[in-house]
Amino acid sequence: MNFVEARLAKLARNGDRNAFAELVELYKDKIFHLAYRMLNNKQEAEDAVQETFLRVYTNLHRYDENQKFSTWIFRIGTNLCIDKLRRRKNTYSLDAEMPDGEGNDYYAMLPSHEDTPEKQVIVSETQEQIRQAIETLPEKYKSVVILRYLHDMSLQEISDVLDMPVTTIKTRVHRGREYLRKRLEQEDQVGYTNPVHM
Amino acid sequence: MNCKEALPLIHEYLDGDLQGSDSQRLKEHLISCQACHALFRQLEKTDAMVRMLPPVRVSETLTAQIMSGLPPVKKRNSWMDFIRKHPAVSVAVVFATVMFGSFMSMWNDDTNLMVKGSNLQDVVIEGNTVTVPQGHTVKGDLVVQRGKLKVEGEVTGNLIVIDGSLNLASTAHISGHVTQVDEALGWVWYKLGEFVGMLSH
Repeated sequence: MNFVEARLAKLARNGDRNAFAELVELYKDKIFHLAYRMLNNKQEAEDAVQETFLRVYTNLHRYDENQKFSTWIFRIGTNLCIDKLRRRKNTYSLDAEMPDGEGNDYYAMLPSHEDTPEKQVIVSETQEQIRQAIETLPEKYKSVVILRYLHDMSLQEISDVLDMPVTTIKTRVHRGREYLRKRLEQEDQVGYTNPVHM
Repeated sequence: MNCKEALPLIHEYLDGDLQGSDSQRLKEHLISCQACHALFRQLEKTDAMVRMLPPVRVSETLTAQIMSGLPPVKKRNSWMDFIRKHPAVSVAVVFATVMFGSFMSMWNDDTNLMVKGSNLQDVVIEGNTVTVPQGHTVKGDLVVQRGKLKVEGEVTGNLIVIDGSLNLASTAHISGHVTQVDEALGWVWYKLGEFVGMLSH
């Protein structure tokens, strides 16, 4: 239990903007990391972060101080990203306007030619392959894998965030792991000098 | 152990959940089975590689962007705030209001003359005028509500006039207290006092 965060949330609830700004500083990177891996689009991820904090702000009175603040904010962020992924999948026309009402169309969602943040720092083929493998993960494994590996959450914490039984999370981690292994094996990254096929 | 049993145990191990004896059995199987051993190493490597993915950096302006996107501070309804913060007090206030209201309606509804006492044979009632004639004695308390009380004789107890008038003649003799209640609030006080008195007896 992080008392500092609970206290900041309480102050922010009573209208203290500086307290809220501190919460933003504490969590914006984590939520952006989550959103970027889920959505794989920098602009969309930034929008998701902004929307997450807006929801946190407007729902502060619903935050239960006995709960970990991180669990709560990750829940809001993850649900938002899952919603965005689903909306994307349900729309077939690239010319259709995005439901966000900002005049974006689906061309904006196509992978850009711009370098991904990784590439801007270091060009690593392996990392790029992992990124692509995660991108192709089915949505229900994606959130679990990202929370587990990129945010280092325990199965119990993921279960709290996604509001699902631990057994379900466990199954999804196992399937997700298996999926990634197969993808990376195809790319011959996890392969060995003498690969064994099952 | 066969290969089908081994796979779930490998996952358990990678979750960090594999217990002693199972871990021993898995180890024995992995030593004897090349295929499972290779699978184990692939899964372990997959885990390690995914963890390796570096965190991405946010743009410098994101915090400012988030903060400026927040709705303006709402002026909240202080009454609602009070109720949210003091539920018990709020319930008590509502209860008191309802009680007070019912007292008030009792006060306003009843318009009949009422005379109360333990010894009323010496009291003369004409219209809404209650008279204790000269030379007569009322033993004990006398309560008159919504009427005129004229005392010429003697009352040995307390005299209470509610929502009415009192006329004490020079010959009148009251042994107890004289109380006049004119307003609904005073009447409530009187009722409460009566109630408390009843409890304490």
